[in-house]
Parts: sequence; C-alpha cells; structure tokens
Amino acid sequence: MSRRLYRPRPATVQTGVDGTPVRVGRAQVESLREEWRVEDRWWTARPVRRRYFELTLASGANVVVFCDLGSGRWYSQTGG
Amino acid sequence: MGAAPSELPDFASKRNPALFDPVALAPEPDRAQVVGEVSGAAQALGIHPGMRVGEALARCPGLLLVPPDPERAARAWEAVLGALEGIGAAVEPAAPGEAYFDAAALRRMYGGNVEGVLARARRAVPAPSRWGVAASRFCAYAAARAARPGRGAKAVPPGAERTFLAPLPVTLLPAPLGAELAPALERLGIRALGELARLDASDLADRFGRQGLRARELAHGRDTALRPRIPGERLSEEIELPEAGSGLQLLRALELLIDRLLARPERRGRALRALRLGARFVERGTWRRDVPLRQAHSSRERLRLALLPRLDELPAPIERLSLTVVAYGPPVADQLSFQRPDEQERRNRLAEALRQTRAAAGTESVLRVLEVEPDSRVPERRAFLTPFGE
Repeated sequence: MSRRLYRPRPATVQTGVDGTPVRVGRAQVESLREEWRVEDRWWTARPVRRRYFELTLASGANVVVFCDLGSGRWYSQTGG
Repeated sequence: MGAAPSELPDFASKRNPALFDPVALAPEPDRAQVVGEVSGAAQALGIHPGMRVGEALARCPGLLLVPPDPERAARAWEAVLGALEGIGAAVEPAAPGEAYFDAAALRRMYGGNVEGVLARARRAVPAPSRWGVAASRFCAYAAARAARPGRGAKAVPPGAERTFLAPLPVTLLPAPLGAELAPALERLGIRALGELARLDASDLADRFGRQGLRARELAHGRDTALRPRIPGERLSEEIELPEAGSGLQLLRALELLIDRLLARPERRGRALRALRLGARFVERGTWRRDVPLRQAHSSRERLRLALLPRLDELPAPIERLSLTVVAYGPPVADQLSFQRPDEQERRNRLAEALRQTRAAAGTESVLRVLEVEPDSRVPERRAFLTPFGE
C-alpha cells in the first residue's frame, strides 16, 4: 500500500487585514519569513492555486501554511 | 557439500496410503486458499502446488484434500535434522525437506571418502530421501533432484558444476530468484541455466540488478558458504487439555507453558528471541505460529502479551497446546566473527530482520520513500511511502 508524503493537513489560521496569518492554531505568529504562490495544473479540471507562508511562531517553531485559493481553506504542510 | 531434500513429511506414505489417487494438501484455514504439495496422480491432471483450491477442484472434482499437519511435519523434519547432526554433520536447514552439510568434513570418520559419509547419513535418516553431492549448495540441490529416492546419491565432480547445471531450467533457481527472475528470463528466451551463465555480468546487472548477478553466480556453480545451525538448542513444553480448550482455559494453559519454559534449567538464564505456538485440534489437524519478539527478553508478562493475540487466531477448539523456543537472545559471552560477512550474507540477515519486523509490527512497518516528482512545486506530489522490498 503506497501513500503520499507531505500531505497537507487542515489548519486553523487567523489572518490580518492584508490576508497574512497572525495566529496558527493557538500560537501567535512572530514573523513572516517568506511568502510565495503556486499555480499548477491549470490545464486540468483540478487546478492547484495556493498562497504559501513560511512563518516563525512565538514558540520559535517554523511552520509552512497555505491558503487554497479555490476553497479559501487553510492547511499546514511539511516539505515545502 | 551434501544435500538431502527428503520427501515432505506432510505426505509421508504411512499417513496417506492412497497416494495413487489425486490427493493434495489443503490450505490452512487463515492462509491463502491454495493447495500445497500434490500427488503424482493429481499432477497428471494438471494440478500443481500453489493452484487455487477452486480451480483445482474444478479440474478434478474427485480431488481428495488432506488437512495440513504442520506440527507433525515440523517434528518429522526436526527428527531428520537431528539424525544428521547425530552423525556429526553441521547442518544448514533450508526450506522444509531440504538441508545441506559439508560431507568432506566427515570423511575421516566414515571410511575416508564422501561415499562412506553418505552411506552413514542414509542409514541415519529413516525417511525416503534424495541425495546430491556437489561443491555448491545450489548444485547439490539440483543433483539431489536428479537422484531417485531410495537410490544412490547423484554426485557432480568438482569443476563440472557449470556443465551439469547448463541444461537445467532457470525455474530451478531458489526462492525468491526462481519466482521473480525466472518468468522474466523465460520471456527473454533464456530458459536454461547454461544460457544464463553465458550472459555478460554487466548486462544482467543492467537489466536485473543484484538478483541477476546472484542468479548468474548460481548458474556458474558458485554459492555462498554454508551457515549451519547450532544443534541441541530446542526447548519445548506442551500441555494436554482434557476438554476442548478455548477462552479463559486456553489463556491459563498458555501462562502455565510460559512459566514452565522459563523455569527450564536448559535455558541457562538466556532471554528468548523467537517462540513457536503449536496446537492440535480436537477434530483433526494441527496449527502453529512463529512469534518473533521485538526484543529478546524473559519477562513472563511480556511473553504473555506477545503470545496472547496469537491464540485468537485459532480457528477451532484444541486438545493440546505447545510452546517452543525457536531462537535465544545472544549470550553475554558471545563474540562477533573475525571474518567480515560477505555481501549475500549481510543481505540475508537484513532480509531476515525485515521479515521479523513485519511479523511483529505488520506489513506496513517497513517502508521506503520513493521520489516520483522530486522537483514538483506541489510538495505532496514529490514522494510516496511504499513497501520496502525483500
């Protein structure tokens, strides 16, 4: 049985007025390290449109979260 | 090196006198529903080991399915190995019914030649058997297959291994090579071991990797060194259950067996690494399960926790339960070998470790990362977790 690595996991993210995350779960975002977009498979019926953020939390942990621009849902992901 | 692939004890003629009828070994209740060994009459009707039961019965509605008796088969095979060790042979057991020993090492004890050794070995082994003598394990196996049961041994002179093996089919290669490599070789038109031996090593490595090189070595009559087992290490306890045993009664019987086994002085304080649970059903037939432990230990409670779930696999009430030590933990005084183990032996050890891990923790306990689109911008497309091959 095979399974994918780095699968996105649903995350609870609060955003500021500019749409950047200010809180991930219960943790406060300390700083925004990087931001990028992924637009892929636009030629298929299931295009991938994501806005990624690499964040440092108040605890010192680094996390990568993205907003699925199609559904508006947030996910966290490793391997980004 | 000698080989003694004896007839499988499951099918000993004393038990089944009607072997001229189409007879096949039935599958165990919770295993793959395929037939085991088959009689000559069944074979003539197109039934072969590994065929699905439904298909076998469709081909031969009168096929007699004999319930397997793994406990009795294991005891009979152990008696054969013990008999060989009784004459001083350092025996390497392979598949059930197949064992190897260095006949040359015993020459001085039995007449100064290999024939004397074989004559003594044949007297020691009561079961009908076939014998082969050759310089390598695989060649000895092929020679034994060519010998007739109850007749003299087939001997391959030193240096003639490649010539002897040349006309034999590639399907003779031992597991897992025989099952995995032989069909691909046959599709490429390579049907005989001689044709395989003539191929260039680099071509085989390109197409089949390590397995191809190993098969070529075997076809040349070369094999790894023997790894004999350490004899006299079996420790077993059993208990008769006067009324059909199940549920709580079975649990108590298991606890009693564990206590008895741990109390045996022959254990000499060693921890246990692998155990075998055996049972005899009230109706007919036997059952057994090997239980490798994640860590060698001698704690009663941990042994109980490891063995208890296996009792749930019993398909029917039983009248006898047995517990056998299959392997001990390494004694403190053990030293490592001076010689560095060769590549094949290291791979065998790794494969054994994988098998034990899977047996203890499930089939998905050992996985590998397979990169499929390592440069994809979408992380979940980059890699998969897939089962780690043997």
